[in-house]
Amino acid sequence: MLSLGSGGGKSAKPSFVSYVTPEEINSEKDTPKEEKHPDLLPGEVVFCSASTVLKLTQDELSQRGTFGTLLCTNFRVSFISDEETGEETAPLFKNKLYGENDIPLSCVDNIYGGYEDKRKLVTGSQVKNKYPSKIIIHCKDLRVFQFALTFCKEEDAKRIFQGIVHHCLEPKSLKNIFAFSFCENTAFPEMQMQQRTMMFDSAEDWAQDLKRTKGSCRLVTENANFGLSPNLPQYFIVPESVSEADMTLFQGKGLPIWCWSHHSGCALFKTSNLPLQQEDNVPQSYMEKMLTAVAHNYLYSVKTEDLSDTLPTVQDIQLSYSKFKQFFFIDSTTDFWVSDMKWFSSLDNCGWLDIIRQCLQKAMEVVECLEKENNNVLIMEDGGSDLCCVISSLAQLMLDSYYRTLQGFQSLVQKEWVAGGHNFLDRCNQLHLKDKENVSPVFLLFLECVWQLLQQYGPAFQFSETYLTVLSDSIHVPVFSTFLFNSQHHRASILRQADSSHSQRGTLNCPTVWDWSVQFDCKAQQLFINPLYAEKPKLDKSMRRPHRPKHQRQLSLPSATFKTPPKKGFFKDETDSLKKILRVKRISRWMLSPDSPQPSSTSREFYEAWQRKPLDYHGLLLPCLDGPAVRIWMQRYLRWIQEVQIFGGGLVTVLSKVSDLLDEVQELQRQLDRHSSSLTSNHQRPRPRPISAETDSRLSVLLSSSFPFTTLKNNWSYKPAIPTGLLQSLMNSGNLADTEDDDQESLVRA
Amino acid sequence: MLTGSKTTFKVRQMVPDMKERMLSQSGLNARSRDMFGLRCLPGECVLQRAVLVRKKLTAREGGGWLAGTLFCTHFRVAFVPQDIPKPDDNADPVLLGDHDVALASIEKVVAVGPSRTKLVTPNSSLKFTPEELVLYCRDLRVICFLFDRLTPETQAIEITYTIAKTYQPLKPGTVLSFQNAALGSVEMKQFLSNRRKDTHMNWFESAADWEQELERCGAAGWRVSSVNDRFEMATSLPRFNVVPQKVLDTELKKTFAHFNEGRIPRWCWRHPRGSDLLRMASFQNNIYHEKDDIRNLELILFGGLSLCVVVELGEEMPSPADIQLAHSRLRALCLGDLSTSVSVPDDKWLSTLESTHWLDYTRCCLRKAAEVACLLRSGHLTVALQEAEDRDMSCVVSSLVQVMCDPHCRTQLGFQGLVQKEWVMAGHRFYNRVNYHRDNDKEEAPVFLLFLDCVWQLWSQYPSRFQLTEDFLLALHDSVHLPLFSTFLANCQRERCKRTQHLSQSYTPVNGWRDVLPRGSSPDPSDPTLPPVWDWALQYSGQRQARFTQPIPPPPSIKPLLNGNLNTNPDAHRLSDTTPVSVFLLSRGAFSCPANLLPWRSSSSGVYKKSHRRAPSSENVQALERLLKAWALTEYPHALTSNCGPQGPLDPYEPLLPLLLGPCVGVWRECYLRGALHAQAFSHPISSNHLHPVEQLAWEVQQLRDKLALASSKTDANPPAKRAEPRRTDTNLNQNTNNGTFLFPASRPQGLGVTRAAPPPTSINHQTSRGAPPSSAPQSRPSHKDNGGSNKHTFLFGHPSATEARPDQRYYPAPNNTKLPKSNGPSIGS
Repeated sequence: MLSLGSGGGKSAKPSFVSYVTPEEINSEKDTPKEEKHPDLLPGEVVFCSASTVLKLTQDELSQRGTFGTLLCTNFRVSFISDEETGEETAPLFKNKLYGENDIPLSCVDNIYGGYEDKRKLVTGSQVKNKYPSKIIIHCKDLRVFQFALTFCKEEDAKRIFQGIVHHCLEPKSLKNIFAFSFCENTAFPEMQMQQRTMMFDSAEDWAQDLKRTKGSCRLVTENANFGLSPNLPQYFIVPESVSEADMTLFQGKGLPIWCWSHHSGCALFKTSNLPLQQEDNVPQSYMEKMLTAVAHNYLYSVKTEDLSDTLPTVQDIQLSYSKFKQFFFIDSTTDFWVSDMKWFSSLDNCGWLDIIRQCLQKAMEVVECLEKENNNVLIMEDGGSDLCCVISSLAQLMLDSYYRTLQGFQSLVQKEWVAGGHNFLDRCNQLHLKDKENVSPVFLLFLECVWQLLQQYGPAFQFSETYLTVLSDSIHVPVFSTFLFNSQHHRASILRQADSSHSQRGTLNCPTVWDWSVQFDCKAQQLFINPLYAEKPKLDKSMRRPHRPKHQRQLSLPSATFKTPPKKGFFKDETDSLKKILRVKRISRWMLSPDSPQPSSTSREFYEAWQRKPLDYHGLLLPCLDGPAVRIWMQRYLRWIQEVQIFGGGLVTVLSKVSDLLDEVQELQRQLDRHSSSLTSNHQRPRPRPISAETDSRLSVLLSSSFPFTTLKNNWSYKPAIPTGLLQSLMNSGNLADTEDDDQESLVRA
Repeated sequence: MLTGSKTTFKVRQMVPDMKERMLSQSGLNARSRDMFGLRCLPGECVLQRAVLVRKKLTAREGGGWLAGTLFCTHFRVAFVPQDIPKPDDNADPVLLGDHDVALASIEKVVAVGPSRTKLVTPNSSLKFTPEELVLYCRDLRVICFLFDRLTPETQAIEITYTIAKTYQPLKPGTVLSFQNAALGSVEMKQFLSNRRKDTHMNWFESAADWEQELERCGAAGWRVSSVNDRFEMATSLPRFNVVPQKVLDTELKKTFAHFNEGRIPRWCWRHPRGSDLLRMASFQNNIYHEKDDIRNLELILFGGLSLCVVVELGEEMPSPADIQLAHSRLRALCLGDLSTSVSVPDDKWLSTLESTHWLDYTRCCLRKAAEVACLLRSGHLTVALQEAEDRDMSCVVSSLVQVMCDPHCRTQLGFQGLVQKEWVMAGHRFYNRVNYHRDNDKEEAPVFLLFLDCVWQLWSQYPSRFQLTEDFLLALHDSVHLPLFSTFLANCQRERCKRTQHLSQSYTPVNGWRDVLPRGSSPDPSDPTLPPVWDWALQYSGQRQARFTQPIPPPPSIKPLLNGNLNTNPDAHRLSDTTPVSVFLLSRGAFSCPANLLPWRSSSSGVYKKSHRRAPSSENVQALERLLKAWALTEYPHALTSNCGPQGPLDPYEPLLPLLLGPCVGVWRECYLRGALHAQAFSHPISSNHLHPVEQLAWEVQQLRDKLALASSKTDANPPAKRAEPRRTDTNLNQNTNNGTFLFPASRPQGLGVTRAAPPPTSINHQTSRGAPPSSAPQSRPSHKDNGGSNKHTFLFGHPSATEARPDQRYYPAPNNTKLPKSNGPSIGS
């Protein structure tokens, strides 16, 4: 299969195309001679292609572009430039699966057809009257591509347009998702243990996590083959006093599932709401029983929170996000300047930041119940796998520093989202279903919230902003099993079918997204690590006994309370005897209305009390949620927009200086070691290289603020140096279009 | 002279009143200047004191609470932490300690009781014992003191009263009494008059200073003219102005009349590519243009070059009134005000921010400056900033241009020189704009603060290209609100000179400018001499001053300044072939050449017409625009191809162009939001004994270096030669720390005036060279190292936008550094 892509390297001049008839081009995999192919992945098949397609830059001023071939495969829409890639400066941050001109099919957000001067949203592959001259593709990772089809043959243009639209927009079955053909043809090196990201697909993982948090609940293994209910995870943990009979009663609905235990003994549970039948008393008494079971977990106290009532619905989230993302789809530079006038107020109006704020606020309330009042908390929601996942994982992130490490975070996502049964397939609409009711960027919302925490308390997180951005991109790369299924049951059944049909190849083994080596090489993976993380964890033995003697050379803030929090609980003095009194909330109260939340005042107190303590990066973290504090995830949303890239500026330069410092420490340490060794051997003095951070820092200044996502080349060629007003007036002044440009010869007036 | 006699009278009345309430007789303790642990200024008396008070520390100070004693003197509210080492009696007096706030910067006093809050005014009475005392300051700080249960109730009430009575909000005339309280004593006057100016920065006070600047910029063809030495040509202009060499003083005299207030085009700065930046006031109409005058006017404006672009700053820029309104709105938004308790809901915060228009105005200024910077970069033209009065926006734009283009202006001392040049000397009306005396609210407008905000925007986008830090900008921002500095207490150099009595018996002008000043303004011997704001040691401890500059210098610039002219092929940019002398107007981002742009060329004057009949064609307009555009589109790829080469984007004279789109501009949180109580969480309290990782890192580097030095000295028989190499960067760093002026490692060949003290580059690898640079503040940094605990920075490196990222990686100088001879006269640190 790989041989298919062999032609890719030898690019011909643009003129070659005219010798090839469309039939030849489209005869698929049989004529690889003159075809331009990307380096196809195993299992990737080219559906259609067209040459002399012009990829336009966003810069309307120049209308420049690059000629090349546009292909549509079963994995991606790909554009291969006719121009020699030249020196190939070996981009530091290169995705192995797709390049900068590739769009994985499920990453396509919207396709617009560009007619003379207007554009139209394309909804299906049936084109009524006229084929557009331009395809504009908006990607879910916020890239925007514009391909002009005016220069290629009409049949080609039609074919490629139809092909792209068909494969990107039309519903398809799960089997057709690229992951399956990809995995059939690839042997993955068995995940090489991944330095222990807990997958929570085995009873051991759950038991281990329970043990780590010193919880006292019961691990249920009876559902390993989904005998109890397909809605429940394979393995899960429930309060001690829940009987097996209870579990089967409502197909897992209403069953409190353990999420996390606080060191005091109280724990966080989540559940999905029972269908409420007014006349029937069964669900209510069942719920009461469950609540009592939760309460039994610790000190007979429980607080419930129905998230469906107090947080935006998944549809709200989707609506708000779709408004929000429009600010960042920049077809042309002028668009951006127009939106610029009302930038701040339009941000407020779309409400996305406010949803983030609400989620963090809710998570903070949950944290308050656990940390301050030591109540058991049961969060519930209609489905039990959307906002429950958001809130419970956020709460755990705030409370437990283990989850702020890279492996810990991945384990958390596995536990709460993958094993917890978040409907990734539906929510991300991997199958391009027309019915968009279920589509909602809930997981992205969670990542947004994590990012807010991360930007407020950088040193507390082992992973970097870049990691989160890449993770958010990976959702739309249809290769990873992590985001392909609606639940563990779904996954198991699909994989079983797949296995039976491909029995000769053994079990189908999709990589998880955590197998970062599938996408990035080691060097790029370095960027996932926050250089300022306050303590470097052990790579092996995970976090089980985390408090090691401080041996790390630098960056090791004393972590007095890493895993012995009981002594340091801020509100410990409050655990007086009153707590012992049975404090189950009346069920009726819960059923009728949520506890009339006016959290802002009380949780404000909690926050302020916490704020007065010195900050411990390994203890509790609470986000600040004031107006100015909740911000836009610049790296994710603005990275492709040239206009807002600060060249040679931004945070990157600071961080790179930090890395220089780190390097310097290492270098000095090495020199010192050499010295001490030479002291004993009394040999000739080692010649220490002068620690010149100069060359490095020089390079670092070459970075732009959207490093590592845009390559230098892009960055330079059309960076608008002259601010708004001037450039606009230049555009008005007519065709002053440039005549010379070095790396982009093609000049087009459209 | 700054206040009328009426107010002076008032002040004198007030003093005995205060004395009655004084707690202690200052005479007794005057020698030790130490009262109850508070180190007073000479003549300062403690009015009230409260014990067992805790001060809420801001994030920048490390957060949390600090226990100590609160004092109110008639100059400041002072807070002395409990376990502070005994102050040294022999040390120089410091106006304000790290925890003090001057009465003059207090705007509002709010007492917080068990159940309510009350705004305390001089006349109001308190019906409850305050538990908390909140001081709202003009510089947007909010200072919060908490009384302990053990604080005697009377003390809590009394000190609240005392502060409320003495701070005297918005009352005309209080400023002078305040100045007297601070600086009026004989000892203080003596101390101040003995203080010498920091010679490392350019004060632009003498002709030599200007010549030095000309030399630094490599500006040939310009000279310093002293024709205005007695301010008779233009009262608001400085004594020395830079004009083209070809214009003689006698000719020059005739040109003043052609400009508003006599503010003729004056040279400000030369871009290394050979273009000059000028600024001027609007043209005086209704004046007859004699033929000779025209020649001189042209000469002044074109400075020998063939192309001049006039940048009109009037219409597009915000007016002072706009700025004032925006600033007051921003203030209201950022200061969560306890007394009014109207707060903006979180989800409307950004919209409200937008509606203040403050960010729009910063963008507007930055945009204009960026345009000018691009123009200058194209070489061989003069750019003349024109504003009706040439005293507000011209200051903003011309200094922003220089910050963008000239790395020297991004150092602390360079920036101070820049403010001296473009604001203080150029006659920005600080006195009216800041409105210390509250006597003319119409004139009030924080133009200078707007400028600082613009600089901060640049800084936050390019933190690594600045030597100065946010701390420095903050210090400057706060100092503006303190009416103690000669820098801000006058409208022009003439007023300042008047104050320092340089002019007192020299000359009586015919034109009677004396009438302009308030009557009775003859130098009052009781008026204290005001220090310049740049004397930071009066306000800030060495430790805090050390944070004004980045310890790691921005990347070195390889390329030397070749006689101030970097332009290797001037012809590429020369437009002079088409028209001999052409002038364009840049307005609203486009070029044009209106006929009456230069009044003497317009048809009415008629004289000029013959020689220059051909009006600049539209062709040339396009050529100019193409020039701008060409720069935007082509230069960068060129630089890219050679990005491994020495210059690339690191060419130090490439302007730092700010990005001005919505997502790229931000609120200066550390300034505007530091006081707002709700915003204090931006940087969380860091427990006191932890260093920030970066500090720790830098500290570790130093440790390792020391160890290495030790080890190598043990092994090496001949230490000097061999030790030099591993310590090379160290040497550079030391220079940077010591001098505070070096943006560049010493390996950079000389060129900028400021690096004049740098050792010759050849000696850098030599051990002995480390003693060479004058050490201005070497003792401050090591102390940093010792008690790192009290030295709490708050870093938020996780931030995506650079707003709070601070490039504070600090290297500490090697210990042997402290042994450096403290030489070369007085300096900031001493």
